[in-house]
Amino acid sequence: MFNVAAVDVTKTFREGREIVTVLKGATLHLAPGEVLALEGPSGSGKTTLLSILGCLLSASGGTVEIAGHLVDAKKPAKLQALRRRHIGFVFQQFNLFPALSALENVEYALNLKGVTGNDATQQARELIERVGLADRARFLPRDLSGGQKQRVAIARALAASPSVVLADEPTANLDVNVAGQILDLFSELARSEGRSLLIVTHDPKVRRVADRVVRIEDGRIAA
Amino acid sequence: MVDLGLKTLLHDKVRFLITVSGVAFAVTLVLVQVGLFVGLLDNSTITIRKLDAELWVTSKNSPNLDFVHQFPESNLYRARSVPGVERADNLILSFMQVSLPTGAEETTIVYAMEDFQRWGIPWQVTQGKLDDLKRGAFVIFDESASKRFGKFEVGDYREVMGQRLKVSGKTREAKSFTTTPLAFMDFRRAQALQPELLEGKTSYIVVKVATGADVAVVKAELERRLPYNDVFTSQAWAERSRAYWVENTGIGFNAFLTVFLGCLVGVVVVAQTLYTSTMEHLKEFGTVKAIGGSNLDIYRMLGKQATVAAVVGFVLGYLPAQLLKPVIASAGLKLIIAPELTLVVLLGTVLLCLGSALISFRKVASIDPALVFRS
Repeated sequence: MFNVAAVDVTKTFREGREIVTVLKGATLHLAPGEVLALEGPSGSGKTTLLSILGCLLSASGGTVEIAGHLVDAKKPAKLQALRRRHIGFVFQQFNLFPALSALENVEYALNLKGVTGNDATQQARELIERVGLADRARFLPRDLSGGQKQRVAIARALAASPSVVLADEPTANLDVNVAGQILDLFSELARSEGRSLLIVTHDPKVRRVADRVVRIEDGRIAA
Repeated sequence: MVDLGLKTLLHDKVRFLITVSGVAFAVTLVLVQVGLFVGLLDNSTITIRKLDAELWVTSKNSPNLDFVHQFPESNLYRARSVPGVERADNLILSFMQVSLPTGAEETTIVYAMEDFQRWGIPWQVTQGKLDDLKRGAFVIFDESASKRFGKFEVGDYREVMGQRLKVSGKTREAKSFTTTPLAFMDFRRAQALQPELLEGKTSYIVVKVATGADVAVVKAELERRLPYNDVFTSQAWAERSRAYWVENTGIGFNAFLTVFLGCLVGVVVVAQTLYTSTMEHLKEFGTVKAIGGSNLDIYRMLGKQATVAAVVGFVLGYLPAQLLKPVIASAGLKLIIAPELTLVVLLGTVLLCLGSALISFRKVASIDPALVFRS
């Protein structure tokens, strides 16, 4: 049983009169508790694959299953439900809501996932504590450092216990020491609860925490 | 629940201030213009509403209260003989010239009756007694006349149609549509001032219907017995008079144009600021979708932002409109902001602001979800 099972996934885009094939039959599996690093040069299809696995983009061909559910691109409501229940995201640019405090950023994600009221506040507080930001819970993102922002983003990604966490270059905007701490925290939190963690990266430090490293080149998983 | 929409709206305080200022400006503009319009229309028929009569007998095809021609005063007796008529009286309404001490001349609208008191007009006598009008060459002017005629006091003399009349009292709120002040005098006095026009003539017969009598039946009988006159209920006569001013003077079109421009300003400001805000927050909306939100969640957020901007803008626009009332009154005009108008403007503001958010809705619906991964 895999949390992510992508088989022979293809994706084509129309650019003017040309049809560009970005993914040419990518196959990828992630077991529960597994941390996978996905590396590849720019334009190799990393972000496209991540978008498809995150149910943000539909594949042109092949099949994708998330937590045992077949992803059907023709049913947008089902895609949204999959994102809501089973997927957490961490972004390179953090993508925190600037008007919300650290705690509220996490609480809002919980609200969207159906957790409301005191339960949401309590769970958000616990997540913020787990990423070591209890004393910064009421701070707005503009008052947090890059590492602290990424911790909030990790707490938000873990809201409502998704089966799969997808991270896009989570250490790209952090200094070396902070990046190491974030990766340790991130992988530990993922593994401890049996989540699958896919990290798209150029950063060689990610290899240290990854169970497996796969490379994507020219739209295909190379190794 | 964390209210992302509201917090985002209030987070950028300058933008929020610009948005609500635009709405407030539009609301003030609409309330003041429509309020003035309603005030003028109120003036135009205030005597119809205040006079205690159910029916008005007018000259044939009279367009409105102020523009009538005369008919024989003896028609009154035929009116009085109609079953169901409790009482009926002649009423003269005529424009007369007042010579001012400066040598200039001004116009006043004279209302003349034999017994004002039992018909309930003038409705606010601030000085003097109505009964005095019967006792000699007396006239009562409305206080608003001081703006045009210069200051005057009870006991002063004014020349009306070349004859000296003593000012025996003052009234309040008796103004016409054009804000020309009203004057009140005895019926025979008015006829004597304009004999060539008014001798043996009247402008109206006002009719009080007896308790229990059917107004429609009395009206029909009056129409039968006075075939060269028209008969209106007071409500129909007021509506006809107001319609004349609205349709024939351009004031209606002017009011419509102002309301349209006010709405346009509000819509443009709100639509522009919401759209700019949406464009700047596209990535945040993409993030909302990525973490499990739907387009509907984002529409609700934008809708709430538009509604809050509308309500706050309305309050900020409503207060200056109310504060302008005494200023406008000092200029001799009436600003009427009725609860119905307030409610309509509030609902209109909310609806227009929500409409303005539709452009943003379209943009949100077309967000590329992969936007969240871009630097």
